[in-house]
Amino acid sequence: MILAQLFFEFFHIGLLSFGGGYATLPFLYHIAEFRHWYTAKQLTDMIAVSSITPGPIGINVATFAGFKTAGIVGSLVATASIVLPSFILVLIISRLLEQFKHNKYVRSIIYTLKPAGCGLLAAVGVDMFVNNTNVLGMFLLVVLFVLSLIEKRDPLFYLGVSAVAGIIAGLFGWIN
Amino acid sequence: MEKTFYNIFKTFFKVGTLLLGGGYVILPLLQSELVDKRDWIDNEELCEYYALGQSVPGVIAVNMSAFVGYKLMGFWGAVAAMLGIVAPSFLAIVIIAKMLDEIVGLKFIQSIFWGVGIGVLMLIFLAVKEMWMKSIVDKYTSWVFFFVFILSACCKVSPGILIVAAIFLGIFRESKRRVEAAKVAEISEDDES
Repeated sequence: MILAQLFFEFFHIGLLSFGGGYATLPFLYHIAEFRHWYTAKQLTDMIAVSSITPGPIGINVATFAGFKTAGIVGSLVATASIVLPSFILVLIISRLLEQFKHNKYVRSIIYTLKPAGCGLLAAVGVDMFVNNTNVLGMFLLVVLFVLSLIEKRDPLFYLGVSAVAGIIAGLFGWIN
Repeated sequence: MEKTFYNIFKTFFKVGTLLLGGGYVILPLLQSELVDKRDWIDNEELCEYYALGQSVPGVIAVNMSAFVGYKLMGFWGAVAAMLGIVAPSFLAIVIIAKMLDEIVGLKFIQSIFWGVGIGVLMLIFLAVKEMWMKSIVDKYTSWVFFFVFILSACCKVSPGILIVAAIFLGIFRESKRRVEAAKVAEISEDDES
């Protein structure tokens, strides 16, 4: 039963998450709220872990969630489920490549999906900000933001800076 | 290098292993492995697959690998490329998943994760900013953003439902445009007669 649920949840993420990079996050946070396979906090930790382990976040979290709920079989099912829609769609599209690229319906759908994906991710960001950020966190966020304005850098740079900030804050007992 | 199942798998496994910090670096990695080192496809094709990978749902790195794999060796090429790109990510997490809970319990690690949580939030905002600049170009797209944002943030509507709604909206928009174009054509025909 749990395997069927894993299949359903991750298959539908694979089928409906548009916009790449963090597009899977709104779905993954939604699962955290409704399925209790992992908590929102664990997911945030996972995103951090996933940025220093190989591979895309979506795959990392699918493997992790599958493992937490049903061990190695669960992680296989969840990972296979999230990539299966891609596989099927790519096979179909590769054969109809020219039609796909020039189809006006496809274009109109993608034109609509882009801002929709952006809105979903913005909602995740605001939600995380409201629920998890104290004054110290806000200060760190502002510092990171200013750094990003000075020069755009690799994601690992921001995570490195914030990890160091976390260690310092922990040493001084500012967290909790 | 010959385009065999094993070679394609191996190439994508290598790319998958180097894919740190999210899927963003997939394009330069594939450029170096497939275009420069192996000469399997050219840069132009690769960029086209990158664009295509973004217009298909799911994980972009996986989509792109499947497209390239299919181009190289059809069905089995796509299978090899996808297995290759996913395997390192899968193995890494399976190995650390067991330890993760124990590690997270340590106070020192908790401090790091506290900081990194803020860093992740920052990355999400940067991603939103980037997506915003690419996707919100007129009134229509602003409204789509606004509605999706409100429904998701305030009403907790499931992302899946919102995406399906957006797909229908996209179809509706194009149909409406066609009907209007047909009307305009009719009117101009009437004028002529």
